[in-house]
Amino acid sequence: MRALRPARTTDRRTADLFAALPTSSPSPPPSRGLAPRLLWLALRFNRLPLVAVVEAPTEPWVVIEGAPTREYLVAVNDTARAAGLVPGLALSAARARVPALRPVARDSAREWRALGALATRAFALTPLVSLEPPCELLLEIRGSLSLFGGSAALVAEAERLLGGSSQPVEWAVAPTARAALYLVRGRPGTCLESSAGLAAALADLPLGIAGWPESALALCERLGVASLGELRRLPREGVARRLSPSLLQRLDEAYGLCPEPRRRYVPAERFEERIDLPAEIGDAPRLVPALQILLDQLERFLVQRDAAIGGLTLRFLMRARPAHVLRLGRMQPTACAEAWRSSAEQRLERLVLEAPVLALTLRSAPLVPAAAVTLDLDARSPAATEAAARSLVDRLRARCGEAAVYGMCLVPHHRPETAYRRVLPSSEHGGVPSADLLPTIRRPLWLLSAPETLRLVDGAPWYGGPLQLLEGPERIEHGWWSQVPVVRDYYVARDARGVRMWIYRERAEPKGAWFLHGVFG
Amino acid sequence: MKAGIDALLQNAAVWRAREPRVASTEGCCESGWPRLDAVLPGGGWPLGTLTELLLPTHGIGELQLLLPALRALGGRRSPSGWLAFIGPPHVPYPPALAQAGIAPERQLVVEVPVVTDRLWAAEQALRSGGCAAVLVWVDAADGRWLRRLKLAAQGDAVLAVALRSMQCRDAPSPAALRVLLEPQATRLGLRVLKSRGRGPVHIPDVFGG
Repeated sequence: MRALRPARTTDRRTADLFAALPTSSPSPPPSRGLAPRLLWLALRFNRLPLVAVVEAPTEPWVVIEGAPTREYLVAVNDTARAAGLVPGLALSAARARVPALRPVARDSAREWRALGALATRAFALTPLVSLEPPCELLLEIRGSLSLFGGSAALVAEAERLLGGSSQPVEWAVAPTARAALYLVRGRPGTCLESSAGLAAALADLPLGIAGWPESALALCERLGVASLGELRRLPREGVARRLSPSLLQRLDEAYGLCPEPRRRYVPAERFEERIDLPAEIGDAPRLVPALQILLDQLERFLVQRDAAIGGLTLRFLMRARPAHVLRLGRMQPTACAEAWRSSAEQRLERLVLEAPVLALTLRSAPLVPAAAVTLDLDARSPAATEAAARSLVDRLRARCGEAAVYGMCLVPHHRPETAYRRVLPSSEHGGVPSADLLPTIRRPLWLLSAPETLRLVDGAPWYGGPLQLLEGPERIEHGWWSQVPVVRDYYVARDARGVRMWIYRERAEPKGAWFLHGVFG
Repeated sequence: MKAGIDALLQNAAVWRAREPRVASTEGCCESGWPRLDAVLPGGGWPLGTLTELLLPTHGIGELQLLLPALRALGGRRSPSGWLAFIGPPHVPYPPALAQAGIAPERQLVVEVPVVTDRLWAAEQALRSGGCAAVLVWVDAADGRWLRRLKLAAQGDAVLAVALRSMQCRDAPSPAALRVLLEPQATRLGLRVLKSRGRGPVHIPDVFGG
């Protein structure tokens, strides 16, 4: 913004002053028909700074901001207001009036989160919600009017949903977002459903509510311009030149002369919440009630988004110790708190805590769209089998642990113990791989988790008796470039009981040793 | 009129609601071993009920005995249900199963050391309707649990096999089919201890080793 030398010539009419300037400013926007179908509800939460920090206080709590020794009040609760404190008052003055004052520093991060939480709840009213930090929300409500039965009913619903005794909410309705904002600050309770009376409604609002820079407001004051209407009567070129083209544009946005794109609020992609326990809990099953609170919040969060999750992480925070982490997963993503609770309960029953738990956090896996539940009449249809198989895995993993339940897949690898991998059981069947991808020589149906050393009797391998070599050797050589190369001669052997085994002789280190690696079963 | 109804009720396709669902309607699955199929009622492993294999030790060919049936069951359902291995003594090795024509992705392995957990998992797997076959390794299981498994298997064309130690041979069992495996030097012999409607049968060699 170009600085303007203070205009001392008060005898000249301000309009002349502005008109005298060269015209290098934007022309007034062509008054093309804005999509007139938008209607904005602005909601203002004056007490958000307070609500974000303290809950249900009875003492005179105030939220303060500013440099040390020059703090001023940002928000006050009912008790403080009754004592005559108002936002904007210096802290020292407030202390003089109310010695028992409970000041608390403003926490912008928590305010932001609290505003986000309100925006999320506002999705019950409309899909288009926009934040106006620090304490305002804008809701586009044209599409929701007929559902709620008019703007009055919708506003009442918004107050019920978002407000409360500790959190009074102010509102205004206008056809443009910025006008709604100006009205909720200057004249809350205004409801303008058409753009006809917009100019008149905005005309006598003081400039102070626009949230413009101090220098611009000071300049307007010197010019004797106090309201939006007065400013608008001035020639556009002059306003743009002396104030700023961007302020002129905001004014146009408020009056609906040019469109105002607003950033849509996109809620968090994950649910993350923490609960501090009223007392330390050392017994894992007794954590269930606290967990239930988190899971209920999770369910509401997911239902609002029409989403589900396939996993979540619980952290049990303890004193002077790393948190105990419990991961729960389901193959069938769900939003249902009950399903998650039963999964968690089965794990908590077996959990032995190293130390008492102070707090509990829950973090969800990325959200997936909730699948509509369809019950199949035919229990053997592909979809029903698929769903049954998935929910089976969920139940098994909940009780036996996630590592104990797994599927298998092949890995193209020569080393027998790495030719397969444990995977999450998957319903996507790749089918039987073609023969050329498989070993040509028959493999045992059982593989030992670690090769077992065989005794040698008279230089021949022995396993409860002499082993008779039936087939072999099959040389498997792999990884000569690595630290632990594999050079083995595999044989099929049979022991005295008739068990057919897959044994090998190590050709690398320890050279010549015999190992049992599999059973043909 | 009454005669007509009687004639109608003779028709095997008519099912009366008060009759329990007959397990044999779930059918059989050919074992793939002709000498065994010849002696089994229905000509194969019974589905929808419990089969018990008694083994002197692990690894004597019990899995090979079941392989043809597992392969056939996989092709029968679409999408083929899982082959659940519950509490196996070792890892069922996927390359070997693939060589036998079974897709490794169909394996579902549950590794639980406690026998009651294995039985619980098997019951869940049988009830779920998502499995084509459930093999559960239980050495010490009382008859009550086995009865629960048998009930869980009813009503679905699932192959339910409990693999137990030979020492359980004389313990009472609700299984519809009990087979004792007798490994010989080069072949596998079987002794059918109990089967629906037939007396004990001995097959000296089901397959050669």
